[in-house]
Amino acid sequence: MPGQRSCVILGGGVAAYGAAEALRAAGFDGPVTLVSAEPVVPYDRTTLSKAFLQGQKTAEEILLKPVEHYQGLGIELRLGQRASAVDLDRHELTLEPGERLPFDTLLIATGAEPVRLRLPGFDLPGVRYLRSLADAQALREDLSRAERVLVVGCGFIGAEVAASARTLGKQVTVVDPLPVPLAGPLGEEVGAILAEVHRRHGVELRLGQKVAELRGHRRAEEAVLESGERIACDLVVVGVGVRPAVALFQGSGLQIEDGILVDERCATGVPGVYAAGDVANWWHPAIGRRLRVEHFDNAAQQGAAAARAIAGDPQPYAPVPYFWSDQYDLNLQYAGYPGPWDQVVLRGDPAAPSVTAFYLRQGVVEAVVTINRPRELRPGRRLVEARARVDPAVLADPATDLRALAQAARAAE
Amino acid sequence: MTAPEGYVAVKRYDEIPEGGIVPFEVDDDERILVKLEGKIYALSGICTHEYAELAEGDLEDHVIYCPLHGSGFDLETGRVTALPATQPLPVYDVQVVDGVVYVSREPRQG
Repeated sequence: MPGQRSCVILGGGVAAYGAAEALRAAGFDGPVTLVSAEPVVPYDRTTLSKAFLQGQKTAEEILLKPVEHYQGLGIELRLGQRASAVDLDRHELTLEPGERLPFDTLLIATGAEPVRLRLPGFDLPGVRYLRSLADAQALREDLSRAERVLVVGCGFIGAEVAASARTLGKQVTVVDPLPVPLAGPLGEEVGAILAEVHRRHGVELRLGQKVAELRGHRRAEEAVLESGERIACDLVVVGVGVRPAVALFQGSGLQIEDGILVDERCATGVPGVYAAGDVANWWHPAIGRRLRVEHFDNAAQQGAAAARAIAGDPQPYAPVPYFWSDQYDLNLQYAGYPGPWDQVVLRGDPAAPSVTAFYLRQGVVEAVVTINRPRELRPGRRLVEARARVDPAVLADPATDLRALAQAARAAE
Repeated sequence: MTAPEGYVAVKRYDEIPEGGIVPFEVDDDERILVKLEGKIYALSGICTHEYAELAEGDLEDHVIYCPLHGSGFDLETGRVTALPATQPLPVYDVQVVDGVVYVSREPRQG
Protein backbone atom coordinates (compact mmCIF):
# COMPACT_ATOMS: atom_id res chain seq x y z
CA MET A 1 0.00 0.00 0.00
CA PRO A 2 1.49 3.36 -0.97
CA GLY A 3 0.39 4.95 2.32
CA GLN A 4 -0.10 8.68 2.33
CA ARG A 5 0.95 9.40 -1.25
CA SER A 6 -1.36 11.97 -2.79
CA CYS A 7 -3.28 11.72 -6.04
CA VAL A 8 -4.58 14.52 -8.21
CA ILE A 9 -7.28 13.63 -10.72
CA LEU A 10 -7.28 16.22 -13.47
CA GLY A 11 -10.65 16.22 -15.20
CA GLY A 12 -14.30 16.15 -14.25
CA GLY A 13 -15.93 13.58 -16.47
CA VAL A 14 -16.86 9.98 -15.85
CA ALA A 15 -13.22 8.86 -16.00
CA ALA A 16 -12.56 11.11 -13.02
CA TYR A 17 -15.63 9.74 -11.27
CA GLY A 18 -14.64 6.13 -11.94
CA ALA A 19 -11.15 6.86 -10.65
CA ALA A 20 -12.34 8.57 -7.49
CA GLU A 21 -14.58 5.64 -6.58
CA ALA A 22 -11.99 3.02 -7.44
CA LEU A 23 -9.12 4.70 -5.57
CA ARG A 24 -11.00 4.48 -2.31
CA ALA A 25 -12.43 1.04 -3.08
CA ALA A 26 -8.86 -0.18 -3.67
CA GLY A 27 -7.82 1.12 -0.26
CA PHE A 28 -5.91 4.20 -1.40
CA ASP A 29 -5.96 6.29 1.76
CA GLY A 30 -3.85 9.29 0.74
CA PRO A 31 -5.22 12.71 -0.12
CA VAL A 32 -7.19 12.80 -3.36
CA THR A 33 -8.03 16.03 -5.17
CA LEU A 34 -10.33 16.23 -8.18
CA VAL A 35 -9.65 19.27 -10.33
CA SER A 36 -12.22 20.13 -12.99
CA ALA A 37 -12.54 23.14 -15.24
CA GLU A 38 -16.30 22.61 -15.14
CA PRO A 39 -18.14 24.09 -12.15
CA VAL A 40 -20.04 20.87 -11.39
CA VAL A 41 -19.23 17.40 -10.08
CA PRO A 42 -19.02 14.66 -12.72
CA TYR A 43 -22.28 14.10 -14.57
CA ASP A 44 -23.68 11.76 -17.20
CA ARG A 45 -22.50 13.54 -20.32
CA THR A 46 -24.36 11.07 -22.54
CA THR A 47 -27.69 12.60 -21.53
CA LEU A 48 -26.78 16.08 -22.80
CA SER A 49 -27.79 15.34 -26.39
CA LYS A 50 -30.86 13.33 -25.37
CA ALA A 51 -32.87 13.47 -22.12
CA PHE A 52 -31.31 16.74 -20.93
CA LEU A 53 -31.71 18.49 -24.28
CA GLN A 54 -35.31 17.31 -24.50
CA GLY A 55 -36.01 18.74 -21.07
CA GLN A 56 -36.71 15.36 -19.47
CA LYS A 57 -33.88 15.71 -16.95
CA THR A 58 -32.47 18.58 -14.98
CA ALA A 59 -28.80 19.37 -14.37
CA GLU A 60 -29.25 18.02 -10.84
CA GLU A 61 -30.67 14.75 -12.09
CA ILE A 62 -27.75 13.95 -14.36
CA LEU A 63 -25.06 14.17 -11.68
CA LEU A 64 -23.44 10.76 -11.28
CA LYS A 65 -23.32 11.39 -7.52
CA PRO A 66 -24.08 14.45 -5.41
CA VAL A 67 -21.33 16.62 -3.92
CA GLU A 68 -21.73 15.01 -0.50
CA HIS A 69 -20.70 11.67 -1.95
CA TYR A 70 -17.19 12.98 -2.62
CA GLN A 71 -17.04 14.46 0.85
CA GLY A 72 -17.93 11.02 2.17
CA LEU A 73 -15.06 9.53 0.21
CA GLY A 74 -12.70 12.18 1.56
CA ILE A 75 -12.06 13.64 -1.88
CA GLU A 76 -11.31 17.31 -2.20
CA LEU A 77 -13.19 18.96 -5.05
CA ARG A 78 -11.61 21.83 -6.96
CA LEU A 79 -14.40 22.67 -9.36
CA GLY A 80 -14.38 25.44 -11.94
CA GLN A 81 -10.59 25.50 -11.72
CA ARG A 82 -8.46 25.25 -14.82
CA ALA A 83 -4.88 24.02 -14.82
CA SER A 84 -2.64 26.45 -16.67
CA ALA A 85 0.71 24.64 -16.40
CA VAL A 86 2.22 21.34 -15.39
CA ASP A 87 5.74 20.46 -14.29
CA LEU A 88 6.17 16.72 -14.22
CA ASP A 89 9.73 16.87 -12.86
CA ARG A 90 8.54 18.80 -9.82
CA HIS A 91 5.25 16.88 -9.71
CA GLU A 92 3.25 20.07 -9.64
CA LEU A 93 0.26 21.59 -11.40
CA THR A 94 -0.43 25.31 -11.60
CA LEU A 95 -4.08 26.23 -11.32
CA GLU A 96 -5.44 29.54 -12.57
CA PRO A 97 -4.76 32.19 -11.47
CA GLY A 98 -1.45 30.89 -10.11
CA GLU A 99 -1.90 28.47 -7.24
CA ARG A 100 0.53 25.53 -7.12
CA LEU A 101 -0.89 22.08 -6.52
CA PRO A 102 1.70 19.38 -5.83
CA PHE A 103 1.02 15.68 -6.37
CA ASP A 104 2.70 12.34 -5.95
CA THR A 105 0.56 10.72 -8.61
CA LEU A 106 -1.42 12.39 -11.35
CA LEU A 107 -4.30 10.94 -13.34
CA ILE A 108 -4.91 12.84 -16.55
CA ALA A 109 -8.61 12.58 -17.40
CA THR A 110 -9.05 15.77 -19.38
CA GLY A 111 -11.26 14.16 -22.00
CA ALA A 112 -11.72 15.67 -25.42
CA GLU A 113 -12.82 18.91 -27.01
CA PRO A 114 -15.07 19.51 -30.02
CA VAL A 115 -13.34 20.21 -33.31
CA ARG A 116 -14.25 23.76 -34.34
CA LEU A 117 -15.20 24.41 -37.93
CA ARG A 118 -13.15 27.25 -39.40
CA LEU A 119 -15.43 28.04 -42.30
CA PRO A 120 -16.85 31.47 -43.15
CA GLY A 121 -19.72 32.42 -40.87
CA PHE A 122 -19.15 29.79 -38.21
CA ASP A 123 -18.17 32.51 -35.78
CA LEU A 124 -21.68 34.00 -35.94
CA PRO A 125 -23.96 33.83 -32.91
CA GLY A 126 -26.42 30.97 -33.19
CA VAL A 127 -23.69 28.39 -33.87
CA ARG A 128 -23.41 25.85 -31.08
CA TYR A 129 -21.17 22.94 -30.15
CA LEU A 130 -22.10 20.33 -27.57
CA ARG A 131 -19.68 18.88 -25.06
CA SER A 132 -20.26 20.32 -21.60
CA LEU A 133 -23.30 20.90 -19.43
CA ALA A 134 -22.84 24.64 -20.07
CA ASP A 135 -22.91 23.96 -23.83
CA ALA A 136 -26.08 21.91 -23.40
CA GLN A 137 -27.78 24.58 -21.28
CA ALA A 138 -27.03 27.21 -23.92
CA LEU A 139 -28.18 24.92 -26.71
CA ARG A 140 -31.38 24.03 -24.87
CA GLU A 141 -32.11 27.72 -24.44
CA ASP A 142 -31.49 28.42 -28.14
CA LEU A 143 -33.50 25.40 -29.16
CA SER A 144 -36.53 26.61 -27.22
CA ARG A 145 -36.65 29.65 -29.54
CA ALA A 146 -35.56 28.00 -32.78
CA GLU A 147 -37.77 26.62 -35.50
CA ARG A 148 -35.29 25.56 -38.15
CA VAL A 149 -32.25 23.69 -36.93
CA LEU A 150 -29.27 22.87 -39.09
CA VAL A 151 -27.04 20.07 -37.83
CA VAL A 152 -23.57 19.97 -39.33
CA GLY A 153 -22.10 16.49 -39.05
CA CYS A 154 -23.97 13.23 -38.58
CA GLY A 155 -21.85 11.42 -36.04
CA PHE A 156 -23.31 10.45 -32.66
CA ILE A 157 -23.73 14.03 -31.44
CA GLY A 158 -25.24 15.19 -34.72
CA ALA A 159 -27.60 12.24 -35.04
CA GLU A 160 -28.75 12.47 -31.42
CA VAL A 161 -29.21 16.24 -31.50
CA ALA A 162 -31.17 15.90 -34.74
CA ALA A 163 -33.41 13.27 -33.12
CA SER A 164 -33.92 15.40 -30.00
CA ALA A 165 -34.70 18.51 -32.04
CA ARG A 166 -37.24 16.57 -34.14
CA THR A 167 -38.75 15.13 -30.98
CA LEU A 168 -39.20 18.73 -29.82
CA GLY A 169 -41.02 19.48 -33.09
CA LYS A 170 -38.30 21.48 -34.84
CA GLN A 171 -37.60 21.41 -38.56
CA VAL A 172 -34.25 19.70 -38.87
CA THR A 173 -31.75 19.46 -41.71
CA VAL A 174 -28.57 17.42 -41.34
CA VAL A 175 -25.54 17.88 -43.60
CA ASP A 176 -22.69 15.38 -43.68
CA PRO A 177 -20.01 14.70 -46.29
CA LEU A 178 -20.38 10.94 -45.97
CA PRO A 179 -23.10 8.99 -47.80
CA VAL A 180 -24.85 7.74 -44.62
CA PRO A 181 -24.94 8.74 -40.94
CA LEU A 182 -22.17 7.32 -38.76
CA ALA A 183 -20.48 5.72 -41.74
CA GLY A 184 -17.10 5.82 -40.03
CA PRO A 185 -17.76 3.84 -36.85
CA LEU A 186 -20.75 1.78 -38.06
CA GLY A 187 -20.35 1.35 -41.82
CA GLU A 188 -22.69 1.84 -44.75
CA GLU A 189 -25.12 -1.00 -43.96
CA VAL A 190 -26.02 0.21 -40.47
CA GLY A 191 -25.68 3.86 -41.53
CA ALA A 192 -28.32 3.29 -44.21
CA ILE A 193 -30.72 1.89 -41.59
CA LEU A 194 -30.19 4.99 -39.43
CA ALA A 195 -30.65 7.31 -42.42
CA GLU A 196 -34.02 5.72 -43.10
CA VAL A 197 -35.07 6.15 -39.46
CA HIS A 198 -34.21 9.86 -39.56
CA ARG A 199 -36.03 10.32 -42.87
CA ARG A 200 -39.09 8.57 -41.50
CA HIS A 201 -39.06 11.01 -38.58
CA GLY A 202 -39.02 13.93 -40.98
CA VAL A 203 -35.36 14.97 -40.91
CA GLU A 204 -34.06 16.46 -44.16
CA LEU A 205 -30.79 14.68 -44.90
CA ARG A 206 -28.16 16.28 -47.12
CA LEU A 207 -25.66 13.43 -47.25
CA GLY A 208 -22.51 13.41 -49.33
CA GLN A 209 -22.59 17.20 -49.04
CA LYS A 210 -20.62 19.90 -47.31
CA VAL A 211 -21.43 23.31 -45.94
CA ALA A 212 -19.42 26.02 -47.65
CA GLU A 213 -20.40 28.92 -45.41
CA LEU A 214 -22.96 30.38 -43.06
CA ARG A 215 -24.53 33.75 -43.68
CA GLY A 216 -26.50 36.09 -41.49
CA HIS A 217 -26.65 39.60 -40.14
CA ARG A 218 -26.54 39.29 -36.40
CA ARG A 219 -26.95 35.54 -36.24
CA ALA A 220 -26.55 32.57 -38.53
CA GLU A 221 -29.59 32.68 -40.82
CA GLU A 222 -28.66 30.58 -43.78
CA ALA A 223 -26.22 27.88 -44.79
CA VAL A 224 -24.80 27.63 -48.27
CA LEU A 225 -23.74 24.14 -49.30
CA GLU A 226 -20.92 23.45 -51.73
CA SER A 227 -23.62 22.31 -54.16
CA GLY A 228 -25.01 25.85 -54.04
CA GLU A 229 -28.14 24.87 -52.14
CA ARG A 230 -29.19 27.38 -49.50
CA ILE A 231 -30.80 26.23 -46.26
CA ALA A 232 -32.53 28.71 -43.99
CA CYS A 233 -31.92 28.16 -40.29
CA ASP A 234 -32.10 29.95 -36.98
CA LEU A 235 -29.82 27.59 -35.07
CA VAL A 236 -26.75 25.65 -36.17
CA VAL A 237 -25.33 22.75 -34.18
CA VAL A 238 -21.91 21.49 -35.18
CA GLY A 239 -20.87 17.93 -34.37
CA VAL A 240 -17.80 17.15 -36.42
CA GLY A 241 -15.85 15.11 -33.89
CA VAL A 242 -13.55 15.76 -30.97
CA ARG A 243 -9.83 15.92 -30.29
CA PRO A 244 -8.15 14.70 -27.13
CA ALA A 245 -7.57 17.57 -24.70
CA VAL A 246 -3.78 17.47 -24.49
CA ALA A 247 -2.81 21.15 -24.82
CA LEU A 248 -1.62 21.41 -21.22
CA PHE A 249 0.81 18.54 -21.75
CA GLN A 250 2.51 19.65 -24.96
CA GLY A 251 6.21 19.82 -24.15
CA SER A 252 5.71 18.32 -20.69
CA GLY A 253 7.77 15.22 -21.45
CA LEU A 254 4.77 12.97 -22.09
CA GLN A 255 4.47 11.15 -25.39
CA ILE A 256 1.52 12.57 -27.29
CA GLU A 257 0.18 10.99 -30.43
CA ASP A 258 -3.59 11.12 -30.93
CA GLY A 259 -3.91 11.44 -27.17
CA ILE A 260 -1.53 10.70 -24.35
CA LEU A 261 0.24 7.42 -24.86
CA VAL A 262 -0.09 4.98 -21.99
CA ASP A 263 0.66 1.30 -21.55
CA GLU A 264 -1.79 -1.48 -20.79
CA ARG A 265 -1.82 -0.39 -17.15
CA CYS A 266 -2.74 3.22 -18.00
CA ALA A 267 0.77 4.45 -17.11
CA THR A 268 2.57 7.11 -19.16
CA GLY A 269 6.37 7.03 -19.59
CA VAL A 270 6.70 9.37 -16.61
CA PRO A 271 6.55 7.53 -13.26
CA GLY A 272 3.48 8.42 -11.23
CA VAL A 273 1.60 9.88 -14.18
CA TYR A 274 -1.39 8.04 -15.66
CA ALA A 275 -4.08 8.81 -18.20
CA ALA A 276 -7.60 7.45 -18.78
CA GLY A 277 -10.70 8.12 -20.84
CA ASP A 278 -11.04 10.01 -24.13
CA VAL A 279 -7.57 11.54 -23.73
CA ALA A 280 -5.74 8.21 -23.34
CA ASN A 281 -4.32 6.26 -26.23
CA TRP A 282 -3.52 2.93 -24.68
CA TRP A 283 -1.97 -0.37 -25.63
CA HIS A 284 -4.74 -2.96 -25.65
CA PRO A 285 -3.04 -6.26 -24.79
CA ALA A 286 -5.80 -8.55 -26.06
CA ILE A 287 -5.76 -7.19 -29.60
CA GLY A 288 -2.16 -6.07 -29.76
CA ARG A 289 -2.68 -2.52 -30.92
CA ARG A 290 -3.36 0.94 -29.61
CA LEU A 291 -6.88 2.25 -29.06
CA ARG A 292 -8.37 5.56 -28.07
CA VAL A 293 -12.08 5.40 -27.32
CA GLU A 294 -14.43 8.38 -26.99
CA HIS A 295 -17.26 6.77 -25.04
CA PHE A 296 -18.71 6.81 -21.54
CA ASP A 297 -18.19 3.16 -20.63
CA ASN A 298 -14.51 3.13 -21.52
CA ALA A 299 -13.90 6.34 -19.60
CA ALA A 300 -15.60 4.94 -16.49
CA GLN A 301 -13.75 1.65 -16.63
CA GLN A 302 -10.37 3.01 -17.63
CA GLY A 303 -10.55 5.64 -14.91
CA ALA A 304 -11.12 2.82 -12.44
CA ALA A 305 -8.30 0.74 -13.95
CA ALA A 306 -5.87 3.65 -13.67
CA ALA A 307 -6.96 4.19 -10.08
CA ARG A 308 -6.21 0.58 -9.19
CA ALA A 309 -2.75 0.97 -10.74
CA ILE A 310 -2.21 4.13 -8.67
CA ALA A 311 -3.39 2.26 -5.57
CA GLY A 312 -0.72 -0.37 -6.17
CA ASP A 313 -2.71 -3.06 -8.00
CA PRO A 314 -1.99 -2.59 -11.71
CA GLN A 315 -3.88 -4.96 -14.01
CA PRO A 316 -3.87 -5.08 -17.80
CA TYR A 317 -6.79 -3.05 -19.11
CA ALA A 318 -8.29 -5.14 -21.90
CA PRO A 319 -12.00 -4.39 -22.27
CA VAL A 320 -14.32 -4.96 -25.18
CA PRO A 321 -15.32 -1.32 -25.77
CA TYR A 322 -19.03 -0.65 -25.40
CA PHE A 323 -21.35 2.24 -26.16
CA TRP A 324 -24.95 3.00 -26.88
CA SER A 325 -26.93 5.63 -28.73
CA ASP A 326 -30.63 6.44 -28.42
CA GLN A 327 -32.35 8.25 -31.28
CA TYR A 328 -36.15 8.65 -31.13
CA ASP A 329 -37.31 5.27 -29.79
CA LEU A 330 -34.38 3.50 -31.40
CA ASN A 331 -31.77 1.92 -29.15
CA LEU A 332 -28.40 1.08 -30.64
CA GLN A 333 -25.67 -0.72 -28.75
CA TYR A 334 -22.14 -1.55 -29.84
CA ALA A 335 -19.60 -3.90 -28.37
CA GLY A 336 -16.33 -4.48 -30.10
CA TYR A 337 -13.01 -3.26 -31.36
CA PRO A 338 -13.18 -0.26 -33.64
CA GLY A 339 -11.15 -0.55 -36.79
CA PRO A 340 -11.30 -1.98 -40.24
CA TRP A 341 -13.62 -4.84 -41.12
CA ASP A 342 -14.06 -6.66 -44.38
CA GLN A 343 -17.59 -8.01 -43.98
CA VAL A 344 -20.82 -6.94 -42.28
CA VAL A 345 -23.40 -9.63 -41.57
CA LEU A 346 -26.95 -8.54 -40.79
CA ARG A 347 -29.37 -10.61 -38.76
CA GLY A 348 -33.01 -9.66 -38.39
CA ASP A 349 -35.14 -7.04 -40.10
CA PRO A 350 -33.36 -3.84 -41.20
CA ALA A 351 -36.67 -2.22 -42.18
CA ALA A 352 -38.34 -2.50 -38.77
CA PRO A 353 -35.60 -1.87 -37.69
CA SER A 354 -34.81 -4.81 -35.45
CA VAL A 355 -31.40 -5.94 -36.50
CA THR A 356 -28.02 -7.10 -35.30
CA ALA A 357 -24.88 -6.43 -37.31
CA PHE A 358 -21.67 -8.39 -36.97
CA TYR A 359 -18.42 -6.85 -38.19
CA LEU A 360 -15.92 -9.46 -39.33
CA ARG A 361 -12.28 -9.20 -40.26
CA GLN A 362 -10.74 -12.24 -41.85
CA GLY A 363 -13.58 -14.28 -40.42
CA VAL A 364 -13.15 -13.06 -36.83
CA VAL A 365 -16.04 -11.24 -35.13
CA GLU A 366 -14.55 -7.83 -34.28
CA ALA A 367 -17.70 -6.00 -33.25
CA VAL A 368 -21.44 -6.33 -32.89
CA VAL A 369 -24.18 -3.71 -33.13
CA THR A 370 -27.72 -4.30 -31.98
CA ILE A 371 -30.57 -2.05 -33.07
CA ASN A 372 -33.65 -2.63 -30.91
CA ARG A 373 -32.39 -6.16 -30.15
CA PRO A 374 -30.75 -5.78 -26.75
CA ARG A 375 -30.74 -9.49 -25.95
CA GLU A 376 -28.25 -10.15 -28.74
CA LEU A 377 -25.74 -7.65 -27.41
CA ARG A 378 -24.14 -9.69 -24.65
CA PRO A 379 -23.90 -12.94 -26.60
CA GLY A 380 -22.41 -10.90 -29.46
CA ARG A 381 -19.98 -9.28 -27.07
CA ARG A 382 -18.87 -12.70 -25.89
CA LEU A 383 -18.14 -13.72 -29.46
CA VAL A 384 -15.97 -10.61 -29.82
CA GLU A 385 -14.22 -11.25 -26.54
CA ALA A 386 -13.49 -14.84 -27.54
CA ARG A 387 -12.08 -13.68 -30.92
CA ALA A 388 -14.53 -16.18 -32.38
CA ARG A 389 -14.60 -17.25 -36.02
CA VAL A 390 -18.17 -17.94 -37.06
CA ASP A 391 -19.57 -18.79 -40.46
CA PRO A 392 -21.42 -15.64 -41.66
CA ALA A 393 -24.37 -17.79 -42.74
CA VAL A 394 -24.68 -19.10 -39.19
CA LEU A 395 -24.62 -15.56 -37.76
CA ALA A 396 -27.30 -14.40 -40.18
CA ASP A 397 -29.56 -17.42 -39.65
CA PRO A 398 -32.46 -16.40 -37.37
CA ALA A 399 -32.60 -20.00 -36.14
CA THR A 400 -29.10 -19.79 -34.68
CA ASP A 401 -29.08 -19.64 -30.89
CA LEU A 402 -26.53 -16.86 -30.31
CA ARG A 403 -26.41 -17.61 -26.61
CA ALA A 404 -25.35 -21.20 -27.24
CA LEU A 405 -22.88 -20.03 -29.86
CA ALA A 406 -21.37 -17.57 -27.40
CA GLN A 407 -21.14 -20.17 -24.67
CA ALA A 408 -19.34 -22.54 -27.01
CA ALA A 409 -16.94 -19.78 -28.03
CA ARG A 410 -16.26 -18.92 -24.42
CA ALA A 411 -15.63 -22.55 -23.54
CA ALA A 412 -13.25 -22.93 -26.48
CA GLU A 413 -11.30 -19.84 -25.47
CA MET B 1 -51.15 -21.57 2.89
CA THR B 2 -51.08 -17.89 3.80
CA ALA B 3 -48.15 -15.68 2.95
CA PRO B 4 -45.50 -15.09 5.60
CA GLU B 5 -45.87 -11.74 7.38
CA GLY B 6 -44.86 -8.86 5.05
CA TYR B 7 -44.63 -11.10 2.00
CA VAL B 8 -46.79 -11.61 -1.08
CA ALA B 9 -47.20 -14.78 -3.11
CA VAL B 10 -45.92 -14.32 -6.66
CA LYS B 11 -45.65 -17.54 -8.58
CA ARG B 12 -45.11 -21.26 -8.28
CA TYR B 13 -41.40 -22.07 -8.13
CA ASP B 14 -41.78 -24.59 -10.98
CA GLU B 15 -43.31 -21.98 -13.29
CA ILE B 16 -40.08 -19.99 -13.40
CA PRO B 17 -37.61 -21.36 -15.94
CA GLU B 18 -33.96 -21.72 -15.03
CA GLY B 19 -32.12 -18.59 -16.26
CA GLY B 20 -35.46 -16.84 -16.68
CA ILE B 21 -36.38 -13.25 -15.79
CA VAL B 22 -40.06 -12.99 -14.91
CA PRO B 23 -41.80 -9.65 -14.39
CA PHE B 24 -44.44 -9.19 -11.70
CA GLU B 25 -46.10 -6.32 -9.85
CA VAL B 26 -46.70 -5.53 -6.22
CA ASP B 27 -49.02 -2.57 -5.66
CA ASP B 28 -48.28 -1.30 -9.23
CA ASP B 29 -44.57 -1.50 -8.50
CA GLU B 30 -42.73 -3.35 -11.28
CA ARG B 31 -40.38 -6.06 -10.12
CA ILE B 32 -38.63 -9.12 -11.47
CA LEU B 33 -37.93 -12.65 -10.32
CA VAL B 34 -34.79 -14.35 -11.53
CA LYS B 35 -34.04 -18.05 -11.21
CA LEU B 36 -30.37 -18.90 -11.45
CA GLU B 37 -28.89 -22.25 -10.51
CA GLY B 38 -32.18 -23.01 -8.83
CA LYS B 39 -32.08 -19.97 -6.57
CA ILE B 40 -34.72 -17.23 -6.78
CA TYR B 41 -33.83 -13.55 -6.63
CA ALA B 42 -36.30 -10.66 -6.49
CA LEU B 43 -35.35 -7.18 -7.59
CA SER B 44 -36.92 -3.94 -8.78
CA GLY B 45 -37.96 -4.24 -12.40
CA ILE B 46 -36.86 -0.77 -13.54
CA CYS B 47 -33.30 0.36 -14.11
CA THR B 48 -32.12 3.11 -11.76
CA HIS B 49 -30.46 5.02 -14.61
CA GLU B 50 -33.26 5.69 -17.10
CA TYR B 51 -36.63 4.05 -17.55
CA ALA B 52 -36.00 0.55 -18.88
CA GLU B 53 -37.68 -2.73 -18.05
CA LEU B 54 -35.13 -5.13 -16.67
CA ALA B 55 -37.36 -8.06 -17.64
CA GLU B 56 -36.10 -7.33 -21.16
CA GLY B 57 -32.51 -7.40 -19.91
CA ASP B 58 -29.91 -10.09 -19.82
CA LEU B 59 -28.11 -12.25 -17.27
CA GLU B 60 -24.42 -12.98 -17.15
CA ASP B 61 -22.34 -14.19 -14.20
CA HIS B 62 -24.90 -13.31 -11.48
CA VAL B 63 -25.37 -9.83 -12.88
CA ILE B 64 -28.52 -8.49 -14.52
CA TYR B 65 -27.86 -6.05 -17.35
CA CYS B 66 -30.21 -3.26 -18.41
CA PRO B 67 -31.42 -3.78 -21.98
CA LEU B 68 -30.80 -0.17 -23.04
CA HIS B 69 -27.44 1.03 -21.74
CA GLY B 70 -25.77 -1.97 -20.14
CA SER B 71 -26.01 -0.95 -16.50
CA GLY B 72 -25.20 -4.01 -14.41
CA PHE B 73 -26.62 -4.96 -11.00
CA ASP B 74 -25.54 -7.77 -8.71
CA LEU B 75 -28.46 -10.18 -8.33
CA GLU B 76 -27.81 -10.80 -4.66
CA THR B 77 -27.27 -7.22 -3.44
CA GLY B 78 -28.44 -4.90 -6.22
CA ARG B 79 -25.01 -3.26 -6.14
CA VAL B 80 -23.99 -1.49 -9.38
CA THR B 81 -21.39 -3.54 -11.25
CA ALA B 82 -21.44 -1.50 -14.46
CA LEU B 83 -22.34 2.13 -15.11
CA PRO B 84 -24.14 4.26 -16.32
CA ALA B 85 -26.40 3.53 -13.31
CA THR B 86 -24.86 4.77 -10.08
CA GLN B 87 -27.75 3.97 -7.73
CA PRO B 88 -28.17 0.38 -6.54
CA LEU B 89 -31.23 -1.61 -7.55
CA PRO B 90 -33.66 -2.34 -4.71
CA VAL B 91 -33.68 -6.04 -3.84
CA TYR B 92 -36.41 -7.99 -2.03
CA ASP B 93 -36.31 -10.98 0.26
CA VAL B 94 -37.56 -14.27 -1.10
CA GLN B 95 -39.04 -17.29 0.63
CA VAL B 96 -40.10 -20.47 -1.07
CA VAL B 97 -42.75 -22.30 0.93
CA ASP B 98 -44.56 -25.41 -0.35
CA GLY B 99 -43.42 -24.67 -3.90
CA VAL B 100 -44.67 -21.10 -3.86
CA VAL B 101 -42.37 -18.08 -4.22
CA TYR B 102 -43.08 -15.29 -1.73
CA VAL B 103 -41.45 -11.87 -2.01
CA SER B 104 -41.19 -9.23 0.69
CA ARG B 105 -43.32 -6.13 0.19
CA GLU B 106 -40.54 -3.83 1.34
CA PRO B 107 -37.03 -3.76 -0.11
CA ARG B 108 -34.18 -5.19 1.90
CA GLN B 109 -32.38 -2.47 3.83
CA GLY B 110 -28.76 -1.50 3.15
